[in-house]
Amino acid sequence: MSSPGISQNLSFLLEGFKVTIQLTALCTALSLPLGALVGLARAAPIKLLRVAGTAYVEFLRNIPPLILLFFFFFGLPSTGVTIDDFECGVLALTLYTSAFVAEIVRAGIAAVERGQVDAVRSLGFGYFGALRYVVLPQALAMALPAMGNVIVGIVKNTALVASIGVTDLMHQGEVLESHTFATFSTFTTVALLYLALIVPMSSAVAVLDRRRMRKVR
Amino acid sequence: MDFAARIAALLDPDILRFLGGGLGLTLVVALGTIALSLIGGTALALVRLSPWRPASLAAAAYVETIRSLPSFLVLIYVYFATYRARLDVGTVAAVILGLTVYHSAKIAEVVRGGIQSIDRGQTEAARALGLGFMQAMASVVLPQAYRRMLPPLVSELVLCIKNTSIGSIVGLNELLRRGTIVYQQYFNPIEVLTLIALIYWGLCFSLSRVAARLEGSVVQRAERGALLRAPAAVEL
Repeated sequence: MSSPGISQNLSFLLEGFKVTIQLTALCTALSLPLGALVGLARAAPIKLLRVAGTAYVEFLRNIPPLILLFFFFFGLPSTGVTIDDFECGVLALTLYTSAFVAEIVRAGIAAVERGQVDAVRSLGFGYFGALRYVVLPQALAMALPAMGNVIVGIVKNTALVASIGVTDLMHQGEVLESHTFATFSTFTTVALLYLALIVPMSSAVAVLDRRRMRKVR
Repeated sequence: MDFAARIAALLDPDILRFLGGGLGLTLVVALGTIALSLIGGTALALVRLSPWRPASLAAAAYVETIRSLPSFLVLIYVYFATYRARLDVGTVAAVILGLTVYHSAKIAEVVRGGIQSIDRGQTEAARALGLGFMQAMASVVLPQAYRRMLPPLVSELVLCIKNTSIGSIVGLNELLRRGTIVYQQYFNPIEVLTLIALIYWGLCFSLSRVAARLEGSVVQRAERGALLRAPAAVEL
């Protein structure tokens, strides 16, 4: 391969890299609030909300994300609704991820001492007041490192969208490999690009986690 | 026909047998991967904890790199690598190999955590009695560590079952791929994918419950403090 070829191939991969980043950003921006809402429902004082939240979480996190992707991409058109492949990816990964976010938020809320809630409630705060000013600030601080891991998980799962034709990093890698037969150099470059995205994130998570552990001890 | 009736129409014995075969292959691939990854993961963890620095660093690099990559990429990389190297092992073996490369790295961390949860004094006592590093691990530390590792290993099996579905993309005839074959024939993707999702769900959900129950009994026996201090890992 001559060097202009290499730079051309690299920019081909970088186009996919951009799509991977866009997909990650969108899924993060959507699944964090959605998951937080479901997590609040799972910790709500209303039984119906709790049951619905639990069903949502337990269903979505116990099926392969690829099925969700296929469901929206191959299934939805048969009902007359068509959304493009990128939107399918966002929808499927957001739903899948939100179940994990909900579980983290619920665990964070459960980790706040019950006595604190009783104390604020006795001071005249309502349910939402106690949640807003006492429970959530602590719960979210505890959940922060785990949320970092969720975003790492989103990046890794975005690779699946290549299977429905979204031109993400994984897809561009597969196309390039099938044109050049340069299996090792292509997929190694793809791997390095994923690492460039993920390693800084997981390092940040490790730092946050160590800081949190110091507080726990 | 309404949705429930169309799902019922899927319960044709021939279709169910076809999907059942796919479920069988899913289980074979997942269990085979976890069994091999347990061996690979234990070896990686021991090397990583071994006193020989270069080997320990190499094992750490392998684990941290592979863990940070999409399982899909690892699978495709290994799959095409065996293909281009003209290693004609067949799809099933290639997928098991690819998933093992990925899950070994994950299980190495489980094993390392298990080993580190065993009181250091035990290793020191064993070493003081004249056992080498490997002997101390094999006869004192690992037997205790494996018992504590059972819950995370079951959780890893759940992740592995979910990952086998990626095999469908490279033509592994497992549950999801057989599902796509069925709906391409009968043009009923929503019904088939719902049924397939429910099968995966039943499998993964019951295993998750088993893991949670095991966790409860293990935590009761082990020191609660040590487990609470372990970083809250989330695996998507």
